[in-house]
Amino acid sequence: MTKTAAFFSAAALLLSACGGNGGDTGNGNNGNDGEAAQSDIKVGMAYDVGGRGDQSFNDAAAKGMDQAVEEFGMESQESEAADGEPESAREERLRTFADAGYNPIIAVGFAYSGAVAKVAPDYPDVHFAIIDDEGAQGDNIANLVFAEEQGSFLVGAAAALESKNGHVGFIGGVEVPLIQKFEAGFVAGAEEVNPDIKIEKTYLTQAPDFSGFNDPAKGKTAAQGMFDAGADVVYHAAGGSGGGLFEAAAESGNWAIGVDSDQYELADESVRDSILTSMLKNVDVAVYEFLAEVEGGTFPSGSVRYDLEADGVGYSTSGDFLSQETIDKMEEYKEQIISGDITVSAEP
Amino acid sequence: MTDTSTTTAPAVRLVGIGKRFPGVIANDDVNIEVARGSIHAIVGENGAGKSTLMKILYGVQKPDAGTVEIDGAQVDLSSPADAIKAGVGMVFQHFMLADNLTVLENVVLGAERLHGIGAKAREEILRISDAYGLDIRPDQLVEALGVGDRQRVEILKVLYRGARTIILDEPTAVLVPQEVDELFGNLRELKSEGLAVIFISHKLDEVLSVADVVTVMRRGTTVDTVDPSSVNAHQLAELMVGSELPSPSTESSTVTDEVLISVNHLTLPSPDGRPLVDDVSFTIHRGEVLGIAGVEGNGQSELVEAIMGMLPRATGVVEVDGRDVSGLSTRHRREAGIGYIPADRHRHGLLLDAPLWENRVLGHQTRTPAAKGIFIDKGASRADTERIIEEYDVRTPGPDVLARALSGGNQQKLIVGREMSGDPILLIAAHPTRGVDVGAQAAIWDHIKDARRLGLAVLLISADLDELIGLSDRIQVILRGRLVGEFDPGHVTPEQLGSAMTGAGDKA
Amino acid sequence: MTPRMTRVLLSVAAPVLALVAAFAITSAVLLVAGDPAGEVWATILSWPEPRNLVNIVNSATVLYLSGLAVAVGFRMNLFNIGVDGQYRIAAFVAAVVAGEAWLPGPLNAVLAILAAILVGAAWAGIAGLLRATRGVSEVISTIMLNFISTSIVAYSLRQVAVREEGSNIIGTKPIPESSRIPGFSISSEVSTDVYGFLLIAVLAGVGYWVALNRTRFGFDLRATGQSQTAAVASGVNVKKMTVTAMLVSGGLAGLVGLPILFGNAYSYGSTFQSGLGFAGIAIALLGRNHPIGIALGALLFAFLDEQSNPLQILVDVSPDIVKITQGIIVLTVVISYEVVRRYGQRLEQRQVAQALESSDNTKAEVRA
Repeated sequence: MTKTAAFFSAAALLLSACGGNGGDTGNGNNGNDGEAAQSDIKVGMAYDVGGRGDQSFNDAAAKGMDQAVEEFGMESQESEAADGEPESAREERLRTFADAGYNPIIAVGFAYSGAVAKVAPDYPDVHFAIIDDEGAQGDNIANLVFAEEQGSFLVGAAAALESKNGHVGFIGGVEVPLIQKFEAGFVAGAEEVNPDIKIEKTYLTQAPDFSGFNDPAKGKTAAQGMFDAGADVVYHAAGGSGGGLFEAAAESGNWAIGVDSDQYELADESVRDSILTSMLKNVDVAVYEFLAEVEGGTFPSGSVRYDLEADGVGYSTSGDFLSQETIDKMEEYKEQIISGDITVSAEP
Repeated sequence: MTDTSTTTAPAVRLVGIGKRFPGVIANDDVNIEVARGSIHAIVGENGAGKSTLMKILYGVQKPDAGTVEIDGAQVDLSSPADAIKAGVGMVFQHFMLADNLTVLENVVLGAERLHGIGAKAREEILRISDAYGLDIRPDQLVEALGVGDRQRVEILKVLYRGARTIILDEPTAVLVPQEVDELFGNLRELKSEGLAVIFISHKLDEVLSVADVVTVMRRGTTVDTVDPSSVNAHQLAELMVGSELPSPSTESSTVTDEVLISVNHLTLPSPDGRPLVDDVSFTIHRGEVLGIAGVEGNGQSELVEAIMGMLPRATGVVEVDGRDVSGLSTRHRREAGIGYIPADRHRHGLLLDAPLWENRVLGHQTRTPAAKGIFIDKGASRADTERIIEEYDVRTPGPDVLARALSGGNQQKLIVGREMSGDPILLIAAHPTRGVDVGAQAAIWDHIKDARRLGLAVLLISADLDELIGLSDRIQVILRGRLVGEFDPGHVTPEQLGSAMTGAGDKA
Repeated sequence: MTPRMTRVLLSVAAPVLALVAAFAITSAVLLVAGDPAGEVWATILSWPEPRNLVNIVNSATVLYLSGLAVAVGFRMNLFNIGVDGQYRIAAFVAAVVAGEAWLPGPLNAVLAILAAILVGAAWAGIAGLLRATRGVSEVISTIMLNFISTSIVAYSLRQVAVREEGSNIIGTKPIPESSRIPGFSISSEVSTDVYGFLLIAVLAGVGYWVALNRTRFGFDLRATGQSQTAAVASGVNVKKMTVTAMLVSGGLAGLVGLPILFGNAYSYGSTFQSGLGFAGIAIALLGRNHPIGIALGALLFAFLDEQSNPLQILVDVSPDIVKITQGIIVLTVVISYEVVRRYGQRLEQRQVAQALESSDNTKAEVRA
């Protein structure tokens, strides 16, 4: 897992470098491998605020697209949302892609829900995919959603198993339903291991204030509070604010759990040894698989749920900090979830 | 100090200076020669081109024609920095000092390179102060200084920067007679040390008493250069305006028995204990002008603002025609019949960037013809502005011109006209002719006399003692917020008033 | 030329000067970065499609209200930096009120609009009161109130939020169909309507102009802005004016989010547009606090925003370039207004002097 991740981030870097020097025609990233098959598919990717290079959600989507572009020789173009833009700007972004012949068009993030729902019916021949949203439904819309609660369940279990104090914590970036899924899974997993476990929970900000996803200082303060209170493993679902958690963990000699990507690989050298594991949300996998299907000639529509079974979520073992017993136990839970013996609620 | 006096080159020589703006000739063939070691006065009406000329000499503006020579060498001054480098310094009418800094800090500000900001600078300041008898203590806060002291600091600032020629723009306008004498003492000191002093003034008596040479300007050009011992003030005035100078002479008394204004125990407490206005009581009768004399900063402006209701902390009773207005707001007091010509017309009297007709509305927002219901009546206001322009001889192309575009005198005439509209009972005139030219001054004097004749009560505050004596029916002297003496203008001299104002001499 | 005509010409000269400068500087940035300046401008300056026109007008409507709100303060030398917080808390309250639908149909919308105005005014009024009674700079207090507003809205949204099935967006209860403000369609091929709120924005602009330029209140407000000391001497109660001006500014700010609320979003949720208050500051500066100037400024900003959207897709240039242009426009506008103002002042002084000289000459002739 980690090897492929490293490979893909390197590929992403390479490709984004190409994209920066893209030609005047705006054709963007062609696969740089001359032998690769040439596909006539043009992918349009509409990012949320931050775009490519946010080291988080958008980057994961970019990674999936880059992989598909390279493998299938697709053409791609991308555009990112501006902070504080009106709803019409998101719609317009999708329309511009559609008018310019891009098909399929991938919208990254639930902020595009309304825009996709509105634009898709106007372009019945264009295929849309939206990540993290099931609100926009249509014959030409694929809803790529994740079972974050399942992955969080596993790291919750890991936290409980590795905690010496029987005391763990959860830091959410912004209290929105999406992040509450992480919390619900984490709590369920920890309590499955140890019904008496003490769990600290906090959200950095409330919607519509989304600064909680990008405020390491707040993240650090919250984490320090939890460690001071006796927690020794803290999980975050707070995007960029997670950096604060890692610092606090490194300074106090406690464990942190990363989210979305394998943060051991991405985090600064000085703090990575405090990252016990990361809950993986494989947006790249979802994007890649969607594009692979498109390449194959089928256009998926409706909800596609990326769960443990589909390898849409999971956990990382980089750093080898998890004990073998813990991993065994996690794998056990994983089987039980896949088989349906354990159902993880998505709501706290 | 003697090296330059041995040379024969004049300190400043201006030859054929011309400066024109489109349609206006500000300076035309100006020729002046200022000898080193002399005080050279330049007199002329406002608009005669004095300030343009000084701006040219101080590097603010460049002449279109003619040459500037300093100490015999032709120079090209394109900024004040050039002028300072050439040894020319200027003391402006409005002091440019930071109140919350010390004298030392003010002096070195912007000239830190000369002697640093520490002990060397202090030494240099003390040296200059001693050399020219300026009596300056470098560590005093400027806010603690009186007007005369501040002026000396300004002069020292200029000397500190190495000036050998000093321009003073109407330096006596803000001083009382005693301070004027001190200033002249300083100037003579400067002169004896070999500096050249260029002295701009309206006040011909002062010019005649201090200047060695007087140059008269009229309509942008130098009309004559005279020896002060060979002319008198009237002759000079005639040179300036080309006609006889008016004087603020009292006419027969119009004072009646009827008390229109009575102020009782008006007090304005101040945070540091001593009241700024201290238990002031007076009355003004119908048709009477009450003059208030005092050194600036002795509570005159606070007294006026308290009567206007601008200072909510003031206590005491103000009655206008028998009606107690003490509890009323400024607006209601104006409506009750108080007209107000403020001392600082730019700060308190005008909206400089608004057209004249809007300035006509100012202070009359609630009354006809300016207002109609909740709306401003632009048509009527403009019409009434036209009336004021006509009746008060405001020189302007029309009521839509911005107030800023008018000369000081015309701005002031507009204010007088405005404040006389709306049938006032009391007219407060604070320094009504400060900084206006001779023509406007005479007109404003006439208007004040008219007000008196019309049966208004007039409260006149002025630093110009001739004006006070000439216009007032009674004069009260204010010192440290208290009224300390009453004088009959028929029998008092400026010197006696000056003594009372400074608390020196005998109280009347 | 009459002084009035000169003034109009000069006031047009300033923004034109600023725009030219801004476009030149932006082009220089593009060239230095090696981006195709020609194509960028061709994209931005192309005539918009009908649906883009609708978007431009709609965005401009919102920006216009924001600009007006800021301009009221500017006319009195008050810097209401808090329009951002005011419109968000007001839009939230309006969304809750309209979502609850206590009154039927259009009455519900009216009630919600009034609520927004009141809340916006009250929120700004806090800063006004602090300034009037305690001398707290409204710049500081409105910035702080922005933060507080953000937090209050976030906190309250969680209390009242409903979640659409399958969506990760949370928001207030949607406004019932009957209380939405219908838009008008400009063409059958465009699915988006022009906000019906446009009319209210136009009315607000007219009201702003009349109130400021024709009423005693407006005179007092402008007088205070031009010279507080002169206003005091003329009998204006400056403290009262400060509070009133902030109330008016905040009331207008309360309207800012409503076109979106009633014409598009129908609820206040996690994706409600942010940052409109700050755009309003730039637009008020650009429009010189004049209702028509602000309208032009709002249209310009909306136009640039809309036209820059496809830049990345079509020309491979980040639309952020337009943010640079907008920023430069604001800077150059401030500078060019000052330059033109000084020029105009000198011009007028000369004209006055000229007029007087000629009249003096005639007088002299008469005397002779």
